[in-house]
Amino acid sequence: MLCEHYKDALIEAAASGAAPSGELREHLAECASCRAVFGQEQSLFAAIDTGLHAAANAKIPLSLLPRVRARLEEVATPRLGWVQQLVFACTGVVLALVIFLMARPHRAAREELAKQGPVTVPASMPPAKSVNREETSSEGTQIAAIPVNRSHTLRDSTSSPSAASSNPEVLVPPDEREAFARLVGVLNERSDLGASLLAKVPEKEDGLAAVDPLQIPDIEIKPLEGTETETSHGAGEKH
Amino acid sequence: MQELVLNQPVSTARSELVREAAQADARREFEERLAECGQLAFRVARAVLRNTADAEDVAQEALLRAYQSFERLRDRSRFNGWLVRISFRLALDRLRSAKRRDRREALWSQPAHLPPPATVEDVAASKQFQGHLERALEELPEKLRLVLLLSAMEGHTIDEIASMVGVPLGTVKSRIFIARKKLAEKLRCYANTIRTR
Ligand SMILES: [Zn+2]
Repeated sequence: MLCEHYKDALIEAAASGAAPSGELREHLAECASCRAVFGQEQSLFAAIDTGLHAAANAKIPLSLLPRVRARLEEVATPRLGWVQQLVFACTGVVLALVIFLMARPHRAAREELAKQGPVTVPASMPPAKSVNREETSSEGTQIAAIPVNRSHTLRDSTSSPSAASSNPEVLVPPDEREAFARLVGVLNERSDLGASLLAKVPEKEDGLAAVDPLQIPDIEIKPLEGTETETSHGAGEKH
Repeated sequence: MQELVLNQPVSTARSELVREAAQADARREFEERLAECGQLAFRVARAVLRNTADAEDVAQEALLRAYQSFERLRDRSRFNGWLVRISFRLALDRLRSAKRRDRREALWSQPAHLPPPATVEDVAASKQFQGHLERALEELPEKLRLVLLLSAMEGHTIDEIASMVGVPLGTVKSRIFIARKKLAEKLRCYANTIRTR
């Protein structure tokens, strides 16, 4: 029979694994019952420790590490793929930028020409006579601002209305063309009007090199449409 | 302006390469530790689950999560502590769901848990006691259980356990002591089965 007084001390001693000391040791020396219980407690704790060791030190299965390595491979691979995709995307953006930047100077030059056109308009605009002033000024723009190579642009504009509407220097809509044809008709009938009309253009635009090439001699005036309006003007000048 | 525009993707690609290199470094280091870490994760999971196949699944999951956080957890003691906690947590979650499943299955098949036939008395007694112990272990509060398991695991000093769990040394010692006493209380009634051990 365990002596109640020593019960807790006995269990503590068995749990700690240390040898009993002091009063407990003396009691155990005298009391066979407590000695027996102490022995059981020591066995119990030893069994617990053995069981814990068994529970906590299981042998690792051989398949675990290869499985983890395989999963690591799966985890790592999509990341690299993503990086490659990003690099490809960046390269694409860079190429697009390079193409855009290379194409830009041409556009800028065209825009510069377009700006030059309207600036010359008021200078080239003759005093209005019997013809619609706006129509005349618009044609005046073309004639005054277009140097040798501008005739090409003009031809482009007539074949592509949308492009013409976006670029002021090549504006020749059908109704304007018709109006201009009428003007040419009038000029044909009254050559003095044509001469006075066009004679002022070089005077006001003397700073522009674009005017000189337009003074082309030996070309007959014909009431033609499109590109030939230019030559008819040049001829009108000769009159 | 043009240079600025062109330099941006280049620097992005460079930092990407640096990141890739860091990832490769982390992976190499992680693989070097894998044998040790794998054992730690598996043992924690196995002690909780008492089932090798389940413990293997949990250890794998814990190791993958640990790898994904490895760059932030280079400090070895911190990494081991993190791995131990995630393994313990995952194992507990799995144990709970397994218990729910077992309860459902028990409703359909009543005489399921027959004790294994004992051929030698002490082996049977030993197995029986181990079963009681592991069930008692399961009933311990989690913080006591984790520390007790780590203390029973080979290769970890009390100092390392304190560092892994993130508590003072004295707390680890007292937790181990309390945990063993609690187990003893639960197992004292089976003390007759340990006389052959
Ligand atoms: Zn006594």
